[in-house]
Amino acid sequence: MLESLQYIFAPQIINGLSIGVAVILMALGLTIIFGLLDVINMSHGEFYAAGAFLSVSLMSIGISFWWTLILVPVLLIPFGILMQELLIKKVFHHKDRHILTLLLTFGVATILEDLYKIIWGANTAKPATPITGASEVLGVMFPNYRLFLMVFGAALIFAVWLLIYKTAIGSIVRAATLDRDMSASLGIPVNKVYALTFAFGVALAALSGVLLAPIYSVFPTMGKDFILMAFAVVIVGGLGSIKGAVIAGILLTQLQSLSSLYISPVWSDPIVFAVMVLVLMFKPSGLYAGMKNG
Amino acid sequence: MDKYQQKAIRMMEWLMLIAAILLVIIGKLTGDTFFLRLATEALIFGGLALSVDLLLGIVGLLSLGQALYFGFGAYLSAVILRDWIPSFWVCILTVTFASALLGWITSYIALRSKGVYFALISFGLAQVFAKSIYNTRSLGASDGMVGVPIIQIPLPFVTLNLGDAVTFFVITFIFMGSIYFALKYFLYTPLGRIWAGVRSNESRLPYLGYNTAAPKRIAFILAAMVAGVSGALYPMLRGFVSPELMYFSVSGNAVITVVLGGVGTLIGPLFGSSLLMILKSVIGTLTLHHHIVIGLIFVVLVIFAPKGIVGMLSTKLKNRGVR
Amino acid sequence: MSLPILQAKSLNKNFGGLRAVGQVTFDVDPLGVTSIIGPNGAGKTTLFNLLSGLYIPDEGQLLMNGEDITQLDPVARLSRGMARSFQITNLFFDLTVEQNLQLASQKLESWPKLFYATSKSPLTLQRAQELLEEFHLEAKKDESAGALSHGEQRRLEIAVTMALRPKILLLDEPTQGMSQGDTQETSQLIAQLAKNVTILLIEHDVELVMDLSKHVIVMAQGEKIAEGNPRDVRSNPIVQTAYFGDAA
Repeated sequence: MLESLQYIFAPQIINGLSIGVAVILMALGLTIIFGLLDVINMSHGEFYAAGAFLSVSLMSIGISFWWTLILVPVLLIPFGILMQELLIKKVFHHKDRHILTLLLTFGVATILEDLYKIIWGANTAKPATPITGASEVLGVMFPNYRLFLMVFGAALIFAVWLLIYKTAIGSIVRAATLDRDMSASLGIPVNKVYALTFAFGVALAALSGVLLAPIYSVFPTMGKDFILMAFAVVIVGGLGSIKGAVIAGILLTQLQSLSSLYISPVWSDPIVFAVMVLVLMFKPSGLYAGMKNG
Repeated sequence: MDKYQQKAIRMMEWLMLIAAILLVIIGKLTGDTFFLRLATEALIFGGLALSVDLLLGIVGLLSLGQALYFGFGAYLSAVILRDWIPSFWVCILTVTFASALLGWITSYIALRSKGVYFALISFGLAQVFAKSIYNTRSLGASDGMVGVPIIQIPLPFVTLNLGDAVTFFVITFIFMGSIYFALKYFLYTPLGRIWAGVRSNESRLPYLGYNTAAPKRIAFILAAMVAGVSGALYPMLRGFVSPELMYFSVSGNAVITVVLGGVGTLIGPLFGSSLLMILKSVIGTLTLHHHIVIGLIFVVLVIFAPKGIVGMLSTKLKNRGVR
Repeated sequence: MSLPILQAKSLNKNFGGLRAVGQVTFDVDPLGVTSIIGPNGAGKTTLFNLLSGLYIPDEGQLLMNGEDITQLDPVARLSRGMARSFQITNLFFDLTVEQNLQLASQKLESWPKLFYATSKSPLTLQRAQELLEEFHLEAKKDESAGALSHGEQRRLEIAVTMALRPKILLLDEPTQGMSQGDTQETSQLIAQLAKNVTILLIEHDVELVMDLSKHVIVMAQGEKIAEGNPRDVRSNPIVQTAYFGDAA
């Protein structure tokens, strides 16, 4: 029994966790954008892909993986700001905002996906694993990169949570998004806050892309494939809830990795979605309420 | 719906009719089948768009997964025609009932949520379904099913051959037209007003004496039927079905055509679907990257003309009327 | 003495640790206007929500014409003749005035009529027309409800609640935000309606209440602190202190 725990389950659990943190990072970006800005970002997956693509390109000109971890999200911040200012802001005050932003970002996603095909070609690339080798943890060997992912990811998630709930910046953001007019009258540059928040959210997605590129490979439709998982996590956790995203992220990725032990992996996506649908049937707003109610 | 909108809608209806007649005449004269078949396919997907508009524009529910019912109808139709009995009527009737049943069952899952959650749950449902079909070997897995025969439609005094492009186009046009007018009729019934009430202010409805669950369910089932029956025509035209029919891009495109044409107008989606098909083939000949162009058009549309073509038309009419 | 149309017995409602309504008991006699007044936060709207079925009380009982309706939802209460309006105008803003009234009136027909064109629903059309005339909204019938002036919207709000000819009408601050002129008009409207319908009113306009009502219930901090005819309530010292210097 203990042996199966060690050799069969443990690897799957760790694998699941290492992917889980990246999924959570991406879902965090999504849920922040919804929870704080009330925008459904259907193009989120494309920013994830952009992160992966950019990191591959940067590495091909000699920049090390570790630098891309910092550079890529930073590079994408202006794009996030642009998208918020040029596009999202235009439909924000419409009474059908939810639908319009959903459609708008969906349109952007369509454009971006094709754009990637043009810029980077339709082939798959796979960057080399940044940390090679394996280490022994509790008697089982794990790839070092995956261990790194877990630790780094967890630290980052914690940092995001700290930023939003425990810092002055975080409270400014939360204030600006909760009551726009009041905040504006208090001198808070609401537009700037919105733009930066959106940029932050998509930067998280890009970071996730950089982290997962060595594991999942990089190809033009990767955004579309992965966004489903991110949405599932966000929905199950509850749109707008960081805690929910973390818990749901762990839950769903564990479900995915453990179920692959018993069922062919092609069924793992349907299972994750079936779980998502089930959760929504009994808790129509996800496991946890969001940062805003309603 | 004000009188300018109604006038704009009527104009669009005439436009579609005239365009169809022209197409038939040109088709018969030149013997060209390419544009006729394109137009037929546009109408088939127009049916899917109608289904999306019924939910979105009439009841106020954004479904990102109507392709589920479309694909279901398509697959069921292919199985019936190829493996059971190549009869048009058996196929259509079976798909109608089966789609209604599927709609009824899924409504208990989907309608528990509202707004954004409903959109995402419909999205998830379609994904599960699509991936499941993709994994099922007996349904052709990723290759889909081919070899659907061309069928005839036996009527009292004539048998129509769906292999003829003109015939198929006319049949599809009449089909979609009937669905369109049936849905339009519903809009002006008390049920239609309840739907409008749900869209406008759902929480008030119980105080007027209505539980909103039943009207929503009816709309949901109707939408599933419309999508399913439209899908049933697909293998009749193309001779095959594949899992791609249920992918998000199909649902997404349907939503795009609805917004393009005009949400809530019913004729708009039909028109939008035709327009999109034309755009795709025209742009497709110019560049491989038609997705970018369509995406751009869509983004511009959502920002500057969210009421779509019918909306733009009715605004023009209003301006002219005011002067 | 006729049976009270509405009887509230020891209604209690808590939200979390907060007691919004506590041990409220009163009777409402048929016809005429009974008003509920009280300072802000007295629990008037919560009480209304309990009476109309939006909330179910934690304890207590509600009887309508002798029947226990405590657990019934708004749809069921409506079928027994109880309708309510809302403090924040809650119309179908996308629809025209006429459509709002038709939507409100269509429950008069049998359910199969749902699927037939409206022209086959004479009761609906007739009632909507009656309401348009009664509430002076004929001229605006094709305007969307969202385009009406505030006063007109409040009138439409009341018209919608009257559509199914309820026996008891709960009006939640009907003159909220209205100008003097509109308030006068609405007051007359309510007085007129009160001849055939029992009206239960929440209002902030104390003058209006005193003019219209035959019976007044005063609430403060979730409890009923006084009730009686307008004159008695007005001069009741408990009421005066509760209002902290409101016009007495």
